[in-house]
Amino acid sequence: MMPADHQGPVGSTPAATAQELRPWTPLLALIVLCLGFGLAEPGFATSENLWTIADRSAIPLILAVGTTFVILQGSIDLSIEGVMATSSLTFAMSVFNSRNGLDLGVFGLGLATLVGAGLGLLSGLLTTCLRVPSFMVTLGVWSTSAGIALLLSGDQPPLIKDPMMRALGLGRSLAVPNLFLVAVAVVLLGYVLQSYTRFGRYSMVIGGGEDLARLLGLPVDRYKVLAFVFAGFLGGLAGALESARIGLGHVDVGGGQMFATITAVVIGGTSLGGGRGGVLQSAVGTLTLAILTDGMVFVGINPYAQKAVQGALILLTALGATWPLRHRLRIVK
Amino acid sequence: MKRAMSCPVAMMACVAVIVVTAAPAAAAEPVCAKSEIRLVNSMREIAQPYHANLEKGGRWFAAWAGLEHYVLQLNQGDSDKQISLMRLLLATNPRCTVFNVEPNADLVVKPMIDAANRSGAWIVTHWAHNEGLHPFDGNDHWIAHIAVDSLGAGAAISKLLVDAIGRTGGVVALQGRLDTDPARKRFAGLQQVLLQTPGVTVLDQQTANWDRTAAFPIMQTWLTKYGDRINGVWAANDDMALGALEALRAAGLAGKIPIVGVDGIPEAIAAVEKGEMIATVSSDAYYQGSIGLAMGTCVLTGQVPLPASWPKENREFYLKLVVISRDNAAQYLREPEPAAYVDDWQCDKLWSRSTGKAF
Repeated sequence: MMPADHQGPVGSTPAATAQELRPWTPLLALIVLCLGFGLAEPGFATSENLWTIADRSAIPLILAVGTTFVILQGSIDLSIEGVMATSSLTFAMSVFNSRNGLDLGVFGLGLATLVGAGLGLLSGLLTTCLRVPSFMVTLGVWSTSAGIALLLSGDQPPLIKDPMMRALGLGRSLAVPNLFLVAVAVVLLGYVLQSYTRFGRYSMVIGGGEDLARLLGLPVDRYKVLAFVFAGFLGGLAGALESARIGLGHVDVGGGQMFATITAVVIGGTSLGGGRGGVLQSAVGTLTLAILTDGMVFVGINPYAQKAVQGALILLTALGATWPLRHRLRIVK
Repeated sequence: MKRAMSCPVAMMACVAVIVVTAAPAAAAEPVCAKSEIRLVNSMREIAQPYHANLEKGGRWFAAWAGLEHYVLQLNQGDSDKQISLMRLLLATNPRCTVFNVEPNADLVVKPMIDAANRSGAWIVTHWAHNEGLHPFDGNDHWIAHIAVDSLGAGAAISKLLVDAIGRTGGVVALQGRLDTDPARKRFAGLQQVLLQTPGVTVLDQQTANWDRTAAFPIMQTWLTKYGDRINGVWAANDDMALGALEALRAAGLAGKIPIVGVDGIPEAIAAVEKGEMIATVSSDAYYQGSIGLAMGTCVLTGQVPLPASWPKENREFYLKLVVISRDNAAQYLREPEPAAYVDDWQCDKLWSRSTGKAF
């Protein structure tokens, strides 16, 4: 068993070889991106824009932490958008809202995360008990949960009228957006889980070689289910918080998040094959994407060209991450 | 494999039989007894306010006209299903059947028109269809196409926006999906207005793909970049306008910077009434859901001549859009009375909301 030699931007020696530099490339790319945008448009490098980027990255950060564990184990979770949709409507219809008389406040938030965790449990159980590939299972859970959300939505989406929840979604505490504070707490939680618990270490082992882990007698299935539950829980939290921000329960609340999250996790340096990467890397990847989208608006890149620029930069980052490895990677899928 | 093939073949044969038996009937006098007339509303779904209102409009007309056969066909976003649902219904009594169609995609219009021409059923279509296709080019059973003037909608809200900011200053524009026709035309409407208003400049324009959640962070970035140089926000639909509104709310600016959108969804109308948005534009779903049925009924009861003899501008025209601003928002917040549409359904007033020949 070999926990990845680099858990993040810690423990590097000054005499870094190319091998030791590798985990730093995503962070390097992030810094280069910041410098580039800052030079092109001085207004980019202001504290106000820093908080704008923080606010923009809050929801993606929460999603990336959950997805990281699933990907570390070598599985994939495609159900994010559906989970967010269901939890969004659950949340909107359980806090003070325009549709019914419920006013559960914080418990509504709890309920939404519980629904998310439940959907994660479903994905996990279907993957492990029935041995259906996680790709197919989570695709199915995506449609199912999106369907549930549509049914809940009815012909008029529920508006959130709970002032406390709206303040949580839109407000700031000492200049820092509230949602970003939540995201930072989630990243710390993820880091602790990854570094100091069995769940984190076993996830790495399972991703590195599931057959070996089974031979060692590790309860592989249990930890795989746990990873999906954790991802579902955070997906539910993200759905509820996004709703608190835009002010209603909406089926499309997670639109585009699935692809963005997986991209962020991968450009951070977590391998889709499993066993390599971590929460902090995913956080770097997420921030890179957030800075990229914010920066492109800031320097005024033509909207018609933005998708292409974004794709090119993702390719460059991926290339930078794998370049030192290209001779040793004999199999590329 | 052979077995799997036999099903479509059988269906095609079935359609062919219907076509052969129905074709002679189509040539007959197209006047039906009231009890024979069947009204069909064909649309995507009824989970959104727009579609729910289309359906209500259709029912209101049927009740007002005293027609008992009203059918609702929902295709759930499946174009093939929209076409096959129509063909299924044409198995019986096609020549007294009127379809009022919200096409799921531009390309369903042609097959539906063909089915109507062959069977003798009557059809009215809304929104958009593929270029080069017209009711007056020998499609005698395609009563009319009622298009929505996206350029006009974009221009109408833009005028209100530039007036609201005193015809001078900077605006930011949230575009719809750049590969769609309404997105391009609505933005062209803004550009048209700005040509006549040199004092107003577009500081920046970005696409948020019609999406509320996507519009929020873009608006935040703009607020950081341009700050108080932003005097107004233009959005190609209400969803994005409402997303931008929440970003303004987070910055404590809700209601202080004018926002405009298109579609007239209930939340946007409520925001207009509160003064947080200044305008939105509606195509009036109740009207769209009933006018095609009214046209067909007038034809079938012989109160207007056959569509083939109508002038071109009566068979393909733009629908007048309703601009909702603070003055009239309260009136659109409530569900209208069916009686409000009775005037529009009279056989001599079928074109009262036309703004002229479309395309």
